[in-house]
Amino acid sequence: MTTGMTTATATTATTTAMAARVENAVKVYGSGDTAVRALDGVSVGFPAGRFTAIMGPSGSGKSTLMHCVAGLDTLTTGTAHIGDAELSTLDDRRLTLLRRDRIGFVFQAFNLVPTLTVAENITLPTDLAGGKGDPEWVDALIDVVGLRDRLHHRPAELSGGQQQRVAVARAFAGRPDVVFADEPTGNLDSRSGGEVLNLLGRAVRQMDRTVVMVTHDPVAAAHADEVVFLADGRLVDRMESPTADKVLDRLKAFEVPS
Amino acid sequence: MNAALRLSLSSLRTHRRRFAGTFLAVLLGVAFLAGTLVMGDTLRASFDTMFGRATSGTDAVVRSADTITTPGESEGVREPVDADLVARIEDVSGVAAAAPDIQGAGQLIGKNGEPIGGAGPPTLAGNWIDDPELNSYRLAEGRAPEKPGEVVVNKATAETGNLRIGDTTTLRTPDPVEVTIVGLATFGGEDGMAQVTYTGMTRADAEKYLTAAPGQATSILVRAGPGVSQQELVDALTPVLPEGVEAITGQESAEENTEMISSQFLDIFTLFLLVFSGIALLVATFSIHNTFGIVVAQRTRENALLRALGASRRQVTVSALVEASVVAVTASAVGLAGGIGIAAGLQALFPAIGFPFPEGDLVISGLSMLLPLAVGVVVCLGSALLPAVRAGRTAPLAALRETAVDQSGASRGRAVLGGGLAALSVGITLAGAFTTPSLWLAGTGAALALVAFVVLGPVVSSTAVRLLGAPLDRLRGVTGGLARRNALRSPKRTAATASALMIGVAVVSLFTVFAASLKATMDQTVSRSFAGDVAVSTPGFGGGGSGLSPRLAPAIAEKPEVANAVGLGRGVAEVNGEGRALTVTDPAALGALFDLGDVHGSLDGLGTDGIALTEKEADKQDLKTGDKAELTFTDGQKATFTVRAVYGQSELAGDYVITRAAWAPHRTQDADTLIAVSFRDGVNTADGKAAVEQVAERYGNQDVQTRDEYAQSSAGGIDMMLTLVYALLALAVLIALLGIANTLTLAIHERTRELGLLRAVGQTRSQLRAMVRWESVLVAAFGTAGGLGLGAFLGWVLVKAFDGASDSAFAFALAPTQLTVVALVGLAAGVLAGLRPARRAARLDMLRAIATE
Repeated sequence: MTTGMTTATATTATTTAMAARVENAVKVYGSGDTAVRALDGVSVGFPAGRFTAIMGPSGSGKSTLMHCVAGLDTLTTGTAHIGDAELSTLDDRRLTLLRRDRIGFVFQAFNLVPTLTVAENITLPTDLAGGKGDPEWVDALIDVVGLRDRLHHRPAELSGGQQQRVAVARAFAGRPDVVFADEPTGNLDSRSGGEVLNLLGRAVRQMDRTVVMVTHDPVAAAHADEVVFLADGRLVDRMESPTADKVLDRLKAFEVPS
Repeated sequence: MNAALRLSLSSLRTHRRRFAGTFLAVLLGVAFLAGTLVMGDTLRASFDTMFGRATSGTDAVVRSADTITTPGESEGVREPVDADLVARIEDVSGVAAAAPDIQGAGQLIGKNGEPIGGAGPPTLAGNWIDDPELNSYRLAEGRAPEKPGEVVVNKATAETGNLRIGDTTTLRTPDPVEVTIVGLATFGGEDGMAQVTYTGMTRADAEKYLTAAPGQATSILVRAGPGVSQQELVDALTPVLPEGVEAITGQESAEENTEMISSQFLDIFTLFLLVFSGIALLVATFSIHNTFGIVVAQRTRENALLRALGASRRQVTVSALVEASVVAVTASAVGLAGGIGIAAGLQALFPAIGFPFPEGDLVISGLSMLLPLAVGVVVCLGSALLPAVRAGRTAPLAALRETAVDQSGASRGRAVLGGGLAALSVGITLAGAFTTPSLWLAGTGAALALVAFVVLGPVVSSTAVRLLGAPLDRLRGVTGGLARRNALRSPKRTAATASALMIGVAVVSLFTVFAASLKATMDQTVSRSFAGDVAVSTPGFGGGGSGLSPRLAPAIAEKPEVANAVGLGRGVAEVNGEGRALTVTDPAALGALFDLGDVHGSLDGLGTDGIALTEKEADKQDLKTGDKAELTFTDGQKATFTVRAVYGQSELAGDYVITRAAWAPHRTQDADTLIAVSFRDGVNTADGKAAVEQVAERYGNQDVQTRDEYAQSSAGGIDMMLTLVYALLALAVLIALLGIANTLTLAIHERTRELGLLRAVGQTRSQLRAMVRWESVLVAAFGTAGGLGLGAFLGWVLVKAFDGASDSAFAFALAPTQLTVVALVGLAAGVLAGLRPARRAARLDMLRAIATE
C-alpha cells in the first residue's frame, strides 16, 4: 500500500529487525506525591515475524507498555519506535495515519463498530484511509477466520468469539507491520479463546505477520514464540518457546518475593 | 434528606452539562414570553399615562353620536359637528372654556423632499387650540400659529424631517399647502404620540384645508369651571345639544383613545409576539422531551442497579421528576429575569429607532410573571413525565444488558396511527380548503397534520435519512457512511430531534409561501384589472399619509401625452342600513383604465343619483339595475340612488361607485387613493411618466409608478412583515438547533468507546469531526425537508382556504428561491449545531474511551 509498508515488509523478510521497540521507556501518571511510575525504564524490542506475549501481574505496566508502543499513549521519557518511525516526533494526525496504515488492534472487548456490518468492520481502516486495500488478501483472511457466511451481519448478531475473530481479521486486513492484541481472549470461554489465539499464531507462522499480545493468562501466553515479563514497570524476564506450565511457574516465582 | 431527592441532586451535579441544552431551551422560551407580556403591559400603561396627561385639561368632548362603520374597519367615520355650538356651550353654567377641534390628515414633507411618516401610524393635522388646557399638545419651543400658513409640529416629526423653526415646507392635505414652522410641540410630555405625526394650523387654515365647509369641527373640547366634575359637566351640556350630538367625559374620551391604540396596535402586536413565543415553546418541548428521554436511556444501568438494590419504581420516577423540576424552576426563574431584561432593552431600543416609547417604569404584573413561570415549569415537567415513568419501569436485569442499536420507534402501531392521522388531517384540510371553505377547518387540519408528522417521524426517519444520506456514502466515503448510520441508529431520537427543527422550518415555509402568494395575488390583481400605463398611488400598506389631491387626476388628464386619467377617492355611506365603502370617481372613464368584468347597464350616466355596484354586492343586497337604494351619509343626510350598472370585478375599483358630483355635498376632507393613467397611442412610458411627474410635482410630488412598480409597491408591506416574522422565528430555530447539538453531545457520550475504537484503528480527528458534523447535517436535513414539505402544504391549504372564503381570487406561489434559501439555512444550521459536539468528540481521550466499561 504505502512505501513505508513495503520496505518494512521487506526488512522483516530478510532480517530479524524489530517491528516495534521502546528504549528507556518511562511513563508517569499524575505528579508529586500521587505520581505513579507505570513504566520505569523499560527497553524491549518486538522482532518482526514473531508472536510476542507481554505478561505480568495487574499493575505491572503491561497495558501501558502496549499503549505507548502502539501510539495510543505517549511516554513521559524514552522513545518508542514502530519500524524506523519514532513516535514522539509525530503529531496527532501523523500518529493516527501510522496507526491506520502500519498497526492493527485487537482489544479485549468492544472491537467493532455496531452500525457497520462484519465486512465493513474488517475493511474499516483501509476505508478510512480512502484506499481500496487488497481485496484478495481480505478475501483470504475472511476464509481464515471462517466468517464468510456472516459478512453482512451486524456485530450484535454474532457471538463473542465470532466478534473477536472479526476483530482479528480487521487487525490484519491492512497488512500492518505489527498487530497489538490487548487481552484478546479476556472475555471469551476457553474454546473461543483458543480459536482466536490459533488465528493469531497462524497469522505469524503462515503469513509472516508480527503480533504483540498483552495477557495475564498463561495458556494464552503459551501460544506465543516468546514471553516478556513485566513487574512494577520493569522488564524482569524473557522466555523463549513458552508453555503454560513454565509461564505459570515463572509468574509464581516473582509473586513470592514481592 | 429523602433518598430520591438526594439521588436526583447528586445526579444533577454530576451531569450538569447534559441539562445545559434543556436549561437554555426553557430559559429562552420563558424569557420571550415574559418579555412580551411585560412589554405589552408597559406599553399599555405608558399610553394610558400619556393620554391622561395630554388630555387632562379636557373635561368633556362634544361630538356627533353616529358613526358609519364599514366591514373590516375597527373605528367608524363620525360626522362633523357645527362649530357654532361652541358659543352655545360656553353659555352653559359650569363651562370654563370650549374650543372646536378640527382633525384631518396632513403629511409634511421633510427637508430632503421625502414625506414624513405615512407607513402605518396616521399623519394628523388639525387646528392649533389656543387654550393650553384644552390642547393636547403643549408648545415646547416657538409660538402658536397666528397667520395663514403658520404651523406648529410635534418635536419628533420635526426631528425626523430635519425641520426647524422658521423652515418652510409643504403639507399635503392632500393638496400641497406651503407652511412655515413657527413652533414645536410635545404630546403628554413626549416628543410625539408614538409615531403619529401632528401639524397644528390656524383655525381658518384647518377649516379651509381639512373640512369640506367652514364652520365644521370634528368635535368640541370643553373645560369645566372650578368645582364642576366631568360628569356634572356632561349632564349640564347634554340638554343644550341638538339631536345626534353627544357629550362624553374627558376620561371616557381618553379611554377610547387608549382603547383604539390598544386594539389597532398593541393587542395585535402582543398577540403576534405571543404566538411566536408559543411556537418557540412548542419547539422547546420537543428538545426537552428528547433530552430527558436520552438521559434516562443512558442511565438505564444506573437505574437498574438502583432497582436491583431495592429502590421502588416510584422512587426512581420521583427522582427523575425532581431533577426535571429543579431544571424547570431554575431555568424559568432565570428566564423571567431575562424577560424583564428583554422588555427593558426594548424600552431603551425603541426611541433609538425613532419610536418614542413613553418613559416610565416597567410594568411587571403578577400575571406576566406567573404565566411564563407556570408555562416553563409545565412544559419542562410535562416533557420529562414520560421519560421519568419509563425510568421507573426499568427492569433490575437491565443492569446486565448492553444497550446496543435501538431500533424501536418504527412500530406498526405507530405507522398505522400516524398514517390514520395524516389521512384525517389531509381530508380535513382539503375539505377546509375546497368543499366548504373554512379557515377553521383548514386550521384544525393543519394542527392535525403537525401531530401526524410528529407521530410518523420515527417511522419515516429511517427511510428519509437513508435517502437524504445516500449521496454522502459516495461523496464522503466511510466518514459519510458512518454519519448516516449514526443518524439511523435511533429513529425515535432522530425524529424527535428533527421534529423541533421541522416545526420551526414549517412555520417559516408557511409564512414564506403565504407571503409569496399574497404578492402573486396583488400582482395578478394589478395585471388583471389595472389597464393603465402608470399609477399614482399612496402606499398600499398602512395609513398612506394624506392621500392624493382630487385635483391631480383632472390636471394629469389635460397633458397631451395622456389619454385617460382617473382618480379613485374613498367615501363611506350606509347602503340600505349597512356601512359600505364607496369609490368616488369619474365612472365614465373608469372602464377605460380598470377591467370591471361584465358590465350590465352603463357607467356613463350615473349623475348625482346613480350608483354602480358589483355583482357580489348586488346579490347580497338583492339589487339589480333600475332598483332604488337608500344611502345615508356621514352628515346624516339620506338620498335615494338608482342602480344604473352592475359590474363583475371589484378588485381595485371597489364594490360601490358614485360620481364626484353625487359625493360632493357629503364630502369631508377629500383625497384620492389611486390615480390610473393611460397614454395616447405612440407615447412611450418614459415620456408619459415624465409628463405625469411634472404635474404631480405641483400637487405634493407623489411617486409616479409604472404598472410593475405599482404592483411591487402594493406588496411592499408584505416583505416588511415577513422580515419581522423571520426575526421572531429565529428564536424557535435557535432552540431547535440547541436540541440537535444537545442530542448529539449526549449521543457522543454514549458512543465514547466506539469513538475511541475508531480513533485507535485510524480515524483522524478531522474525519471524526466530519462524521459528527455530517450526522448533525443529516438530522437537520430531515427536519428541514419535513418542515418544507409541511409548510408548503399548509401554505397551499391556507391560500386555497382564503381563496374559497373570500370573494377575490387568491393566487398560489411556491417561492422556490426563498424556499431554497430556507433549505440551505436549515442545512447550514445543522453544520453549526454539529460544531461543538464534533469538537468535543474529537477531543475525547482515546485511552479512556477504550477503557470505559
